[in-house]
Amino acid sequence: MIITELLGARVYGPDFLGFVSDVRFRFDTESIGQPARLHGIMVSPHARSSSLGFERSGVRSPWPIAALVHWRHRGSFLARWGDIERIDVKRIQLRQGFERGSPELP
Amino acid sequence: MSAAGDNQSPRYLDAHLHLLDRQVLDVHGVPVAVVDDLELSEIPAGEEIPPDTPPPVITALLSGPTLATRIFGGRPPESRMLRTPWVAIREIGVVIKLSVGRDTQDLFWTERWVRDHVIGRIPGGRHAPKGEQADSNDRGGS
Repeated sequence: MIITELLGARVYGPDFLGFVSDVRFRFDTESIGQPARLHGIMVSPHARSSSLGFERSGVRSPWPIAALVHWRHRGSFLARWGDIERIDVKRIQLRQGFERGSPELP
Repeated sequence: MSAAGDNQSPRYLDAHLHLLDRQVLDVHGVPVAVVDDLELSEIPAGEEIPPDTPPPVITALLSGPTLATRIFGGRPPESRMLRTPWVAIREIGVVIKLSVGRDTQDLFWTERWVRDHVIGRIPGGRHAPKGEQADSNDRGGS
């Protein structure tokens, strides 16, 4: 599978939740050669496009762009790998009782 | 992920934000490609994923002719996408640095083919111009 098959996919819980706006990977340490494991998907209820990282990094300027991006990606959340039940073509199903994680980068 | 940063805390990267469209440099700092896509290890598509399934990992960076497909939609055939294995990555930052030279990459087979089969058959095409040779010798000797 390639990452562009996931980006923009429609995400469903019991109902439609949004679109995959990004995919987060985790390295266990910062050492060289670590595998990048899929940590979760960023789900944006209103926009398929990337949010340029504004809502994930605390960046607040330039404020017109930050405000616009925040508004477009309002309600975004992180769905972790363990909460993904099924991946189809451009459609991702989350498990019942999935958790909405914070979209901010740790 | 870098040679300098060697602490044990986990690090997170977002594909769109930190990897896609980044310039890739080889071990000598020469631009090699741009990241157009990422290849993941196998995900059971179209069937239920058991809760304890280990997460997929990135296996390769993919580069290819994506300009037209970005404008008009769709995606280039898999055979046209060229792979840079994930294990060849040395550092991820503003650019992505590799631990190998560009000659070891499949990315440049077209360039090598044109060099060997077209440029090399033009008279004088198998060596650098004399002026440049002299310049490089001067630089090497100083």
